[in-house]
Amino acid sequence: MPPSKARRKRSLRDITATVATGTVANSKPGSSSTNEGKQQDKKKEGPQEPDIPPLPPVVVNIVPRQGLGCEVVEGLLVPSRKREYKPNSKYTVGNHPIYAIGFNFIDMRYYDVFAIASCNSVIIYRCLENGGFGLLQNYVDEDKDESFYTLSWTIDQVDSSPLLVAAGSNRIIRVINCATEKLDKSLVGHGGSIHEIRTHASKPSLIISASKDESIRLWNVHTGICILVFAGAGGHRHDVLSVDFHPTEVGIFASCGMDNTVKIWSMKEFWIYVEKSYSWTGHPSKFPTRNIQFPVLTAAVHSDYVDCTRWLGDFILSKSVKNAVLLWEPKPDKRRPGEGSVDVLQKYPVPKCSLWFMKFSCDFYSNQMAIGNNKGEIYVWEVQSSPPVLIDRLCNQECKSPIRQTAVSFDGSTILGAADDGAIWRWDEVDPAASSSKPDQAAAPAAGVGAGAGADADADA
Amino acid sequence: MASSSKASDSSQRSKRSDQGMGKDAAAASVVPIHANLTQLIRQVQSGRLAYIKEKLEVNRKTLQRHSCSLFDVAAAAEVASRGTDGGNALSQRAAERQCGSDLANGIGERDVVSVQEENLATGTLALSSSGATAQRTIVRFVKLPLVEKIPPYTTWIFLDKNQRMADDQSVVGRRRIYYDTVGNEALICSDSDEEIPEPEEEKHFFTKGEDHLIWRATQDHGLNQEVVNVLCQFIGATPSEIEERSEVLFEKNEKHSGSSDKIESRLSLDKTMDAVLDSFDNLFCRRCLVFDCRLHGCSQNLVFPCEKQPYSFDPDENKKPCGHLCYLRFPQWREGFKEMHDDGLAGGATYTMESGTASQRVDVNVMYESEDSNRQKGNIRSMTLVGTSGSKIISSVSAEESTTTPSADISETENVSSDLPPSSLRKHKISKHGPRYREHSPGKRQKVFTSDISFEGNIMNKLSIPEIRDTRLESRESGGDKLRILDESTKKTSRKDMCGESPATTMENVGRQSNKVSSTKNFLESTLSCWSALERDLYLKGIEIFGKNSCLIARNLLSGLKTCIEVANYMYNNGAAMAKRPLLNKSISGDFAENEQDYMEQDMAARTRIYRRRGRNRKLKYTWKSAGHPTVRKRTDDGKQCYTQYSPCACQQMCGKDCPCADKGTCCEKYCGCSKSCKNKFRGCHCAKSQCRSRQCPCFAASRECDPDVCRNCWVSCGDGSLGEPLARGDGYQCGNMKLLLKQQQRILLGRSDVAGWGAFIKNPVNKNDYLGEYTGELISHKEADKRGKIYDRANSSFLFDLNDQYVLDAYRKGDKLKFANHSSNPNCYAKVMLVAGDHRVGIYAKEHIEASEELFYDYRYGPDQAPAWARRPEGSKKDEASVSHRRAHKVAR
Repeated sequence: MPPSKARRKRSLRDITATVATGTVANSKPGSSSTNEGKQQDKKKEGPQEPDIPPLPPVVVNIVPRQGLGCEVVEGLLVPSRKREYKPNSKYTVGNHPIYAIGFNFIDMRYYDVFAIASCNSVIIYRCLENGGFGLLQNYVDEDKDESFYTLSWTIDQVDSSPLLVAAGSNRIIRVINCATEKLDKSLVGHGGSIHEIRTHASKPSLIISASKDESIRLWNVHTGICILVFAGAGGHRHDVLSVDFHPTEVGIFASCGMDNTVKIWSMKEFWIYVEKSYSWTGHPSKFPTRNIQFPVLTAAVHSDYVDCTRWLGDFILSKSVKNAVLLWEPKPDKRRPGEGSVDVLQKYPVPKCSLWFMKFSCDFYSNQMAIGNNKGEIYVWEVQSSPPVLIDRLCNQECKSPIRQTAVSFDGSTILGAADDGAIWRWDEVDPAASSSKPDQAAAPAAGVGAGAGADADADA
Repeated sequence: MASSSKASDSSQRSKRSDQGMGKDAAAASVVPIHANLTQLIRQVQSGRLAYIKEKLEVNRKTLQRHSCSLFDVAAAAEVASRGTDGGNALSQRAAERQCGSDLANGIGERDVVSVQEENLATGTLALSSSGATAQRTIVRFVKLPLVEKIPPYTTWIFLDKNQRMADDQSVVGRRRIYYDTVGNEALICSDSDEEIPEPEEEKHFFTKGEDHLIWRATQDHGLNQEVVNVLCQFIGATPSEIEERSEVLFEKNEKHSGSSDKIESRLSLDKTMDAVLDSFDNLFCRRCLVFDCRLHGCSQNLVFPCEKQPYSFDPDENKKPCGHLCYLRFPQWREGFKEMHDDGLAGGATYTMESGTASQRVDVNVMYESEDSNRQKGNIRSMTLVGTSGSKIISSVSAEESTTTPSADISETENVSSDLPPSSLRKHKISKHGPRYREHSPGKRQKVFTSDISFEGNIMNKLSIPEIRDTRLESRESGGDKLRILDESTKKTSRKDMCGESPATTMENVGRQSNKVSSTKNFLESTLSCWSALERDLYLKGIEIFGKNSCLIARNLLSGLKTCIEVANYMYNNGAAMAKRPLLNKSISGDFAENEQDYMEQDMAARTRIYRRRGRNRKLKYTWKSAGHPTVRKRTDDGKQCYTQYSPCACQQMCGKDCPCADKGTCCEKYCGCSKSCKNKFRGCHCAKSQCRSRQCPCFAASRECDPDVCRNCWVSCGDGSLGEPLARGDGYQCGNMKLLLKQQQRILLGRSDVAGWGAFIKNPVNKNDYLGEYTGELISHKEADKRGKIYDRANSSFLFDLNDQYVLDAYRKGDKLKFANHSSNPNCYAKVMLVAGDHRVGIYAKEHIEASEELFYDYRYGPDQAPAWARRPEGSKKDEASVSHRRAHKVAR
């Protein structure tokens, strides 16, 4: 891999190599750092300040149990070829790495529309049925130094025009109305670059953003209000890299970051503020923004940066830079907040995936997960089966550059990968039986989508 | 194979341990265990697989349901929008564009390649794709207009008071990777390998599966060496841990399988005072008067002041009965109690002089006796416990007897007690306690009578009671000789006793016995025996707080548990017992009467001292020269300041050379245990007119804020005066040196700095030397600060502030708005470390008159080699320039 000049995120490989000779390499996940910290404290305080006891820890890092009866089911790296994909087209956007790519799952009319974020521009495309791309819209920030890191689709709650939310190094969240092709709002408040934005599936006005300033903010894009800030004594101790709303339980979300932890937060007690934000008529800065300092659970499942987390029902899929995605179950203690246990259930190995800021994505039904690696390959896992099944490994001689982010279409028939060299790769399913029911993207996406859903439902029944 | 070799090894070990078993037999027994356990493990593992599978299946179904409902909602919305409007806004526009842009240009080399061209001149973006459907799409750039960015910051929490760093917030010993924003360099900001300690051998945590394995294995094969060894191979735990765990599991299963758990109803009352007060002692901060203090932490050293507040004691004559169960309503008790009340006041002090020396002697004797065997010692202990409670009963009974049946004497026990020469009794205020003492003999007779009618095991107990008590009496009189003889007899009885019953049950028996005897008598006798440990401790606390005032004790501390008459009765009997044996050994559990004595004595001493001191105060005229402690002034005079962290000493009375405060060079403060006349104590100021705002004031000169508890004329009025002015001290003088303590700060505004990044601004104009606010933050150790400083220097924004020899303030994540005040070499503010009520705090003061909404600057006063590049230049800015320094940058107060 050539040393890229413009890549923001730096390879961790050299670092992990040097550290591997140290102590952290073979220690248990999560436990190492906390224990060492404590010991150091004791050692330090031993002779110097014997009569001053340290304050108790603010947050208990919950480490998964290991041993008999707590085994993790690991998937085999043998492609099952349940579905086969062929490379369809390569699309070169520019020289800059593409950090974000995402289909619009919020609005059914645009299930075939996706957007990418690269450098200071956000571009919207359509997946054409012939395997190509249709360029739709292009937004460029006037600030040349801006670098968009993340985007998310949402919908205007009044006239249901599609909205695109994007943010990056400038710490400003841009809300773009794609129907009018105009900037709708700019949300200012974060003190550091924004690493990820997610939209609430059933309440699309709510978005959460994860930032370098160690905080997570909940916004209402309809009124432009920052409703809640999740940071403080129990919050992340380093950049927050990824967030995701719980799919079914309203007011629960997970976050992860450079402090190696995954935190689960609840805003249930502050839901009144969320409701208030919809009807707020005053200036957004006058809104009584509240600060939530303590998460429901802090899990030390990984021992390095955790750069992507997604809910899978009540379970969490999370990924560190250790060549694997983990599926685990958080079990927060209802009576004692901050305590509980975690149970790691399954492991999805992804070879050569040691860079950070590599994110995975799932289709609408969370059946398939696609994740790229350093070598330009994409691993497609069937996440909900036990043991996990590798559907396919997508590779191409010409694709060598790391794939930062993937996008899986509504039914999983199309997989897009956004590479560091500024190219988008498109893979389409080649199964002849499935090709008939493949979404007819140009004319009526709903029909194809319905068929896909029906097929899924049949398989389930 | 490793496992098989281990197995044979274990078999050899088992052979060694069990000589009777042949080698073949041992090997034969190990193999099935091994196979059996392997099978068990497989079972557990397959169970786990099934469990995961089931969980995922359940999860998949709920998720599927949810996604489908979400899809239905979206579909409905889609249908609705299609019917009404143009519907697909995006596709419409796209269609238009595709019609307009039909310049088909086959520039691609492959049919799968699309190339996007950016034409900055025209502001368009062109998409060209080649192949069968060669086409070219051109869209216009839509510009996103510039929005003013806010300066970067890390989310921080407001603190109105410094906090100590919590255990998990440390960066020491952790690996942290830092990414340079400019050069894309990855750096590791962590300790070298030597600094990170090896993780110590952790205690094995048993999982459910492992529990199951151990349980099944021990059930099938019993708990022996082989099984444990084989288990060790499968579970990564030591043999002792496995054995321990199997016992735990056994107990758990036993409990589960049947034997009903006895629920103790009055569980809380069975605890001792120490256990109940544990959370109070550990979590309550006596300096900040809050629970869970974030500044001083929990489990502080308990410092008990040697001076106590005097309690007001109403004479009996003026007192009204506190209720229908007040001791005053029982005329037959009144006289005795009154005597006791008086006795408690007057007699307390005289006893302790003797008890101080005598109790030691007894202690030695007891130890000597019990050298023979620990078991006997244990027995003696248990006996003495009984002895105390027993004696209470006895005395209560005797008291009753004394009023009703004055008939006395002639019993076996009388012989024992008559060993005591009457002259010795007289030594002990026979005038007062003699009669009461005599009353005890019928009690003893009663006891023996009781034991006669009870079964044998109890006889032993009963017999030992008077003996032990008498032992103590003996020792008081004639040293060791008689004690030894009597102890011999005690030992005999206690050996017979075999310690089969716990002291508690023995006590219960005693209670029952006494009930039986005095069933016809007053209700008091029955209740006397059931004073629980907690009630006794509460009673002692009551004595400490209120003195011998049964009304107040019963009402305030034992409300709902004991009535006034019960308390009074208890007090009376205790007093009697105390009078008889003033040299109770503290090491003997259940003996607490001496504690009571101590409280009384301290009380008396404290009061006399206070009176004495008050008198002296008027005569002495304090000047600032005499008031300030020399060490403090020396440090303030010192150009290079280093403040020393204060922690209260627990010295009683006067602090000597070994006082930790004197050792460290700090003054004793009001939180120390030592008395107010301690020589090391800072005595505050006596300023009259200077408002404590100049170096004339000893407090000000010593960089301390005045303390209304310590300084004579510095006081605070509270409220708006509508409730009446408080008594003014020092001619309406207002102290100007308590701003940090009273939080009388100026309104600070946060805004975009004129220099760099964020800045702090003042809302209202202030004068020179006015207090603006406090620089708050997390209190971290110097070592921690070094580590954090490395990280902060990389980010080029440090909020560290040297506080004293122990702590550095870090306002990075926690602080207040003054942390954003920028550095200037020509500042308008200055920072000063003040000692406020024992804590060092950083105050920011105006160096000159500052107009409203001016930005605040102060000199960070970096150490000469620590200053970052921008701080060295005259008009340096704080954040945006690159740091050259590799040392951590600290702010230092003047």
